[in-house]
Amino acid sequence: MTASTPAADDVRQPPDGEPVGDPARPAHGAAADIDPEPPSAGQHLGRIRLALVALAALLVGVLGTLWVVQARSSAPSDFGADAGFARDMQTHHAQAVEMAFLVRDRTDDAEVRTVAFDIITSQQQQAGQMYGWLVQWGLDQTGSRPPMAWVGGEHAAAHAGSDGSMPGMATAAQLAQLQAAMGVQAERIFLRLMIAHHTGGIAMAQAAVADARTPEVRTLAQAIATAQASEVKLLEQMLAARS
Amino acid sequence: MSKSSRPQGGARAGRAKVDEVRQAQRAKERRSRILLAAAVAAVVLVIAGVVGFTIVNDVSNRPTLDAVKTYKVTRDHTNDPVKYAQTPPVGGNHAPVWLNCGVYTSPVKNELAVHSLEHGAVWVTYDPKLPADQVTKLTASLPDTYIVVSPYQGLPGPVVASAWGTQLVLTGVDDPRLAEFVKAYRQGPQTPEPGAACTGGSAGDLPPASG
Repeated sequence: MTASTPAADDVRQPPDGEPVGDPARPAHGAAADIDPEPPSAGQHLGRIRLALVALAALLVGVLGTLWVVQARSSAPSDFGADAGFARDMQTHHAQAVEMAFLVRDRTDDAEVRTVAFDIITSQQQQAGQMYGWLVQWGLDQTGSRPPMAWVGGEHAAAHAGSDGSMPGMATAAQLAQLQAAMGVQAERIFLRLMIAHHTGGIAMAQAAVADARTPEVRTLAQAIATAQASEVKLLEQMLAARS
Repeated sequence: MSKSSRPQGGARAGRAKVDEVRQAQRAKERRSRILLAAAVAAVVLVIAGVVGFTIVNDVSNRPTLDAVKTYKVTRDHTNDPVKYAQTPPVGGNHAPVWLNCGVYTSPVKNELAVHSLEHGAVWVTYDPKLPADQVTKLTASLPDTYIVVSPYQGLPGPVVASAWGTQLVLTGVDDPRLAEFVKAYRQGPQTPEPGAACTGGSAGDLPPASG
């Protein structure tokens, strides 16, 4: 509100904490109740403005409360980060499992076979959690929007590629390369693809940590980001040892 | 404060005038309050009307899946050829290995594709006479995983979408019900083995027949 008239200034209370000049004058409350002058045109306008602002504040308050209550009590939306992550990370994990199986069938190297085994079991279990969430939320496993559409503009690394693919996903040609290779050559291709795959997966998980509403999604997304970051280091060492 | 003060001397006259002005002011305030309330009510009504109309309009224009047919099917593994009740099949006994999901340009083996349906894939079959650009359009509109696309001889429509135990005959590649079918049934609640792989199986070859 603007103090447009001297009359309005007269009845204005001093801001909290500011010393009151005249000790005889009541500092709070009482002064405002007394209306010593007939309301001026400015004051009248001021009251209408005050009423409008109060109404707007009330509306915002009511709508805000409704929104928060709704958001807390209902299942995640079909278009939000929770459902988007639960769907896209299932697809992303499925490809990691596929590549890990491929390399296990193509090498006898114990170290590579062990890390592949680890990826298969952990990611298949995580994908099952995501499937279960969507069932619990009463949402379809398939979304109506393209992959990664749930990611906000600030997470550039988690955006879909120009071909609509999720970050870090191997192309059909790259998978065919892995399929055609054997031994240490297959190991190298697998390690390179899996480092890129994890790096993309970490970006997706971080976007979910930031944007997901449900604690179960944020918790698993954080666990994925942490586990895959440490695994990337291991995969890089393994790749260096085989180059 | 007295509302009926009569003029009795200069001071009284001044007070009466003040009262008059105040009353006029109050009446004016009341009017503006009523006007304000009416304006707010009108705005709320208009917003509610627009929102209501949009929702009703959207819901009534949404493609429905009323035409989807459902079937009860068996699900044993066999190495023998299977005769299926539906064209294309929506389930039933099938090969021990599943068909890798993806786009096929020539017909695939029923016994393999049915196993992929069991794993939650949607099998989109099209009339082999469909022009190439229509087929391209069809595949581009579908998700990359848990989808099998293949031509199929003798379809009941130009495009048919099948998932485990369920099928929808479509009017063409532009039928808006295709996306709705995929959303509802790809890894849908009718899937006997959700999350089972649609990779690492067969690229199209059946395992050798038994016997």
